[in-house]
Amino acid sequence: MEIKADIKDNSLILLKQGAEARVFESAFVGRRSIVKERFSKKYRHPTLDSKLTLKRLNAEARCMTKARRLGVTTPLLYSVDPVLHTLTLEFVEGPSVKDVFLEFGSHGVVEERLDDIALQIGDAIGKLHDGGLIHGDLTTSNMLLRSGTNQLVLIDFGLSFTSTLPEDKAVDLYVLERALISMHSSCGNVMDRILASYRKSSKQWSSTFNKLAEVRQRGRKRTMVG
Amino acid sequence: MKEFDIIGNTLYLALFTDVTNSKELLESMQAGTLEPEVAFLNASLIPDVFPVLAAAHKTLVAKSRDSLTTRTLHSELVYNYSGSKHITESLKRCGISDSTTYILAARFNATLDEMKAIEKLISGKEIDLEELEGRANQTQIQKQYKISGVELGISSLADAITCRIAARDAL
Repeated sequence: MEIKADIKDNSLILLKQGAEARVFESAFVGRRSIVKERFSKKYRHPTLDSKLTLKRLNAEARCMTKARRLGVTTPLLYSVDPVLHTLTLEFVEGPSVKDVFLEFGSHGVVEERLDDIALQIGDAIGKLHDGGLIHGDLTTSNMLLRSGTNQLVLIDFGLSFTSTLPEDKAVDLYVLERALISMHSSCGNVMDRILASYRKSSKQWSSTFNKLAEVRQRGRKRTMVG
Repeated sequence: MKEFDIIGNTLYLALFTDVTNSKELLESMQAGTLEPEVAFLNASLIPDVFPVLAAAHKTLVAKSRDSLTTRTLHSELVYNYSGSKHITESLKRCGISDSTTYILAARFNATLDEMKAIEKLISGKEIDLEELEGRANQTQIQKQYKISGVELGISSLADAITCRIAARDAL
C-alpha cells in the first residue's frame, strides 16, 4: 500500500499576517478551516527559535482546549503540527465584536444586542479566570460572534497562560477596558455591563475588582520604584 | 461502508453490529496474519466519523514523516483515536476485545477487492455509518476522554473528542 507524502494538498489562502504568525484559510478533511502558522524569527539563534516557537505553539493548543473544558467557546482544534509549527482550527463564520461595535458607533447602538454581547463577554472571562486561565490579549477583535446563534467565540490564545493571581486577572480585564475606551467609546459604558456579568459569573470577583482599582491607578505595568 | 478523502489518500470505513468472531479477529490481528491489514475500532466510543477522520489525518502525516509511534499504520489509527499517550491501554480501550460485538473497521487506500475481503472477514451485520451517533455510549466516552458536563454545554461529544485527539501531543 502506498501512502502519498504530499501533506499540503489543501490550498492555503493568506488572510492575515502578524508579528508572530500568519493566518491562512484552508480545508481540513472536508471542513473549512483556519491554519495559524508561527514562523521562525531570523534574528534569533536557530535552536532557541525552534524551542520557543514549539513551546508557544503547544501552550496555545493547551490553553484553547482548557478554555473549552471550562465551558468557554473557542474554535475547535483540528490538529497541531509540531514540524510545520501550525495549528489547524475550525473556521468560525461571523463578525468580530469589534466590527459589531464599530457598526453600533456609526449607525446607532442596538441596546438589546449590546447587552447580550456584554453579558456573554463577562460570563466567559469569569469562567476562564475562575478556572485559572488568563487570556492575555482580550480585545474586541479577538472575540467573534457565530452567525445564526450569536454565540461568543474567543480566539487567539497565543498570549494565554495559567494563573490564579488577582493581579493577572485584573490586568486581563484592564487591557479589555483600555481597548474598549479607545475603540468603542461611542457605544457607551460597555465595560460596566461586562463587569456586572463577570461579577455574577466569577466567585472570586471581589479580590479581582480590588486589584483592578489598583491597576487603573498605575497602569498595566507594575511600578518598580521603591 | 463509505470512503473518505484525506490529504490525497482514502480511508474506507465500515460499521458492523452483532459481530460473533471478534475473538478470532483479535487473535489473527495480534499474530499479524490479518489479510488485508485493517484497524478495528470499538464503535461504542465513536459518536461521529469526524474524530476518526481527524485521527486518520494525524496518522497519515506521521506516516509521511516516517514517525509512527506504533508498529503498523492501522494500529496507529486506533492509538491516535484514543487521545491518550498510553499505547497498550489505548489499543485495549479503543480497539476490540474478545467480546466486542460492535465494530468500526477502517483501512487506508483500500482496493475494491480488499473492501470485499474485509466484509467477508467480519461475521456480523453491516449497518449505515449514520447509526454511530445513536449507538454511542456517552458514559463510556466521557470517562475515556475525561469530558465534563460543563464542556458538553458548549460542545458536542464528537467535537470534544476531536480536540483531545488534536491536542494530545501538546499536553
